[in-house]
Amino acid sequence: MPTPLTHDDPVALGPYRLLARLGSGGMGTVYLARSAGGRTVALKTMHAGIAADPAARTRFRLEADAARVIGDRFGARVMDADPLAKTPWLATEYVLGPPLDEAVESGGPLPEQSVRALGAALCSALGQLHRSDVVHRDLKPSNILVTAYGPKVIDFGIARAIGDDRLTRAGAAVGTPAFMSPEQAAGQDHDAAGDVFALAGVLVYAATGRAPFGHGQAADLLYRVRYAEADLSGVPAALVPLLARCLAKEPGERPTTEQLAAGLHDGSGEFAEHLPPGLLADIGRRAAEVWRPAPPRLPAQPVEAGHDMVTSPARHGASRRRFLAAAGGALAVSAAAGGGVWWYRGRRAVPAGAEKKEPEQTRNLEPLWENNGSDLDVFGWGLLAPYHANGSIWLNLHAIAKRLDPSTGQLQEKMPFDTDWWQATAANGRLYLLDTDFTGNGRSMVIAAWDEKQNYIHPTSTRLEAASAEIMPNQLLCISGDVAYVAVGYGKAPEDKGFSDSQIWTLRAADLRTGRTLWNKPLPKRSGKSKRLHFLAAKVVGDRLVTHQEPADGKVHIVVRDTRDGTVLWDEPYDADGPDSLRSGIAADENHVYLGGARLRALRLSDGGQAWALRSGQAYSPPTLHEGVLYTVGEGAGLTAVDAARGKTLWTETTAEADRAYTGWRPIVGTRYAYYKNGLQLRAVSLSDHTTALTFRTTAEHFHTDTRAGLILGVDPGLISAYPLK
Amino acid sequence: MRTPGTGQTPRGARRFGPYTVVTRLDAGIPAHTPVPEHRFIARSADGDRTVLLSSPLATADPQRFMAEADASRYLLGPWVLPAVELAAPGEQAWHARPYLPALPLPVALAVHGGPLPERTVRALAVALAENLAVIHGQNLTHAGLCPSAALIGADGPRLTCFGAVRAAGPDGAPRRESAGLDPGSLPPEQATGGQPRPLGDVYALGATLAYAATGYTMPEREELPPALRSLVTRCLSRDPVHRPQLSQVIDELAGDVAPSGIPAGFASPTRAEALLGPGWLPGRVVAAIVHQSASVLAAEVAVPAPAQPSPPGGSPAPAA
Repeated sequence: MPTPLTHDDPVALGPYRLLARLGSGGMGTVYLARSAGGRTVALKTMHAGIAADPAARTRFRLEADAARVIGDRFGARVMDADPLAKTPWLATEYVLGPPLDEAVESGGPLPEQSVRALGAALCSALGQLHRSDVVHRDLKPSNILVTAYGPKVIDFGIARAIGDDRLTRAGAAVGTPAFMSPEQAAGQDHDAAGDVFALAGVLVYAATGRAPFGHGQAADLLYRVRYAEADLSGVPAALVPLLARCLAKEPGERPTTEQLAAGLHDGSGEFAEHLPPGLLADIGRRAAEVWRPAPPRLPAQPVEAGHDMVTSPARHGASRRRFLAAAGGALAVSAAAGGGVWWYRGRRAVPAGAEKKEPEQTRNLEPLWENNGSDLDVFGWGLLAPYHANGSIWLNLHAIAKRLDPSTGQLQEKMPFDTDWWQATAANGRLYLLDTDFTGNGRSMVIAAWDEKQNYIHPTSTRLEAASAEIMPNQLLCISGDVAYVAVGYGKAPEDKGFSDSQIWTLRAADLRTGRTLWNKPLPKRSGKSKRLHFLAAKVVGDRLVTHQEPADGKVHIVVRDTRDGTVLWDEPYDADGPDSLRSGIAADENHVYLGGARLRALRLSDGGQAWALRSGQAYSPPTLHEGVLYTVGEGAGLTAVDAARGKTLWTETTAEADRAYTGWRPIVGTRYAYYKNGLQLRAVSLSDHTTALTFRTTAEHFHTDTRAGLILGVDPGLISAYPLK
Repeated sequence: MRTPGTGQTPRGARRFGPYTVVTRLDAGIPAHTPVPEHRFIARSADGDRTVLLSSPLATADPQRFMAEADASRYLLGPWVLPAVELAAPGEQAWHARPYLPALPLPVALAVHGGPLPERTVRALAVALAENLAVIHGQNLTHAGLCPSAALIGADGPRLTCFGAVRAAGPDGAPRRESAGLDPGSLPPEQATGGQPRPLGDVYALGATLAYAATGYTMPEREELPPALRSLVTRCLSRDPVHRPQLSQVIDELAGDVAPSGIPAGFASPTRAEALLGPGWLPGRVVAAIVHQSASVLAAEVAVPAPAQPSPPGGSPAPAA
């Protein structure tokens, strides 16, 4: 929904004057804009900072190309574009119709005849793309706008020409898990048959309001897409056999778009006549409302100091989330295209005193801010914790380290470097990263440090001879004192820059002062098909290097090494609820390492022997250690505090609603509250009276703390959101 | 004679005051359908304002046209489009109001491929009758209702062509032959030169509904859907005393619909809202309205050369 321009939005881009904002995210902003001749368009921009990344710029240009390939009938008509401008922009038709997900959410599942007409039209749209040798790869309800004349497919952020791998980063699993094809979920090639699979998923959603593989954590979804039967309950009986064929795991067994179209619809009547009245009325309303006068530009607002306020301005949570979710590859054109009521509320400055008079709200609070960084890479190589350095939050935006302003969530445009996220870490108040060693043959690596003042990357004297800089899964695990721990690969990088069977891997410790390698120990081989880094988390405790290591895809072990010589002291399997939950960090003190899973356990740091275990029949989240107390989320029990030394339960939160407690991530502990996810809420449990004090709306799956900024950062595939940490 | 601020733009688009014509509103209207005024979708030179603009037919008296436009500014009710901007004195006559995507009723029939469904006609009838009742409550008579004066928006109809009858000729002079007036919608007492009165609007309403339901303003009784037959026939009585009151029209067509909304100003509680809910218009008609909106959004008008004060009677600056 359109919102007023802010004081720092440009007046015009190219020949277009900006009228209002339609959506905004980490990659850029979409505006409603108008030419001198009065043509009204959706103008999608890319932040100049992101556009400095040639790959992002190429992606932006390809998106414009793909939008042109699909044409005016099945896509948003491309009016004009300047991919070479400092702020690249793309002007498309302002589409009058809601995204399919919004249509289904507000009006309920579509009747069979609508699903058939929609499906047949989408087959034609995909057919047109495929004939031009383009696959969409991210077909999903939020990327389909339903107009009175038929659906329009938008957001080609990740569409690519068949065989064009320029933009494919190894393992960067793109697409939306709920509508991905099994081959895409497996990281393999997704071709035209993959789009047919996704289309069938979209039609199941349209007919039932549910995706065929449900929803939930990305990792679970990817698993179900690959191995589980699609849930077709609620799909009109006449459509079941056809859609089931489209959802075949084997691409060769699926029908072509022509066959599917023929099975869906005979092409009679006009598209509008097949739509339910409510949806058609919504489209008619949008066609009129776009003509209302644009809201005035907002004045500059003083920057809020601190984050004491927990109430944030009222926002239309659901619709906002919708267009954030729509941000697939690059930006949410769907929001852009949505049309509708001018939205004045939400961004209005609230006078300081006025805030206090309202009764204090404590439930379902809005995040402090949200940023749809669009390509937050939580699958594939994985997301490591964002961290705070030099006044910025650093995090992983489509596999590259980017930084955000902690007070606003806005991307800071000054881009000192592009590096793979897992190759950077903060220590000693600085940011270290793996860089190509240009003093040698240009193929090996050096550990470098970023000097913020000079905005320059200084190589340290620590060279990683023979290691290949071209291999992407090289990993800078952690730095403790002056010692850096690095997983490095030797040998040729395959075309996708990932693993190959011929590579050799070691874990190295190197002294940053002297540049000397302290030790170098072999790591297990990785198959060329693997998309998993060697390590999920690492931490030095005394003279032990404790790691969550993934020796084979999907299997996690807790491995403890001697920091002096790299000897493995002990190694225990860690049966957690999915390996990605162990990215949340390591709970260890000088005596024990603490593990969640089927039991809550303390293993002796010295030899891995079990010190104590809590058995209650419930599963436990990975625990968080805070001042001698272990906090964990018990399945069905909620937040539980345990004495770390003795393994005695100290307290369990007082609640009647713990059945949706999420055990896939560890709790976050502040000074007043401990936080964990329950259903779609981030729940703050008071450490003094053990009751729920506050809840925040969240869709995130991973949570990290930024103690310096006083924030909890919630991360899900399309969104980073911030909550106050207290 | 040319008057300042009007004429042809360099690319041949028509201009009225600050507005350049984007397209004719009545493009697509069936041939020989009377339209009481020229209607355009037009846009300001800066591209920012898009309006529905009306100008008088060549045969109409521009001064009377402007007088009616001026009076229409005060019209109340949700289903009417009063003028909000009028030509300056001495300028070619026109008036304008903000653009709203809408089709003239005859275009809606053409798009639908024939008479509209009874549900649509019923909703149309109640909305128009309610708004005419509001206008009559203001001590005004619309005196211009005919099929092409009723615009169909996605959310309901809009009355235009206010006072077309009065603009077409002074009281006392026969108006039947006046260009632009729809003879089928013209109450007999006004056709012979009588002053427009409220019951004349009831006749015009009957003719408009008859058109919506059959494609003709004066259909055979049997052509009308049974549910509307008696009412429309009574509206079309030659003798005004046999025509129903607007309240009777509303009661008969919206009998069991409860009034909704809070009365505001002169407006009475509306029963039309409930009838204008989703599904009130056929899909094709909604699609055509949306299509018009999309086309006008995408349209670019030629940007006129920077305004130069042209001497009275002079020609606009030639194209650069």
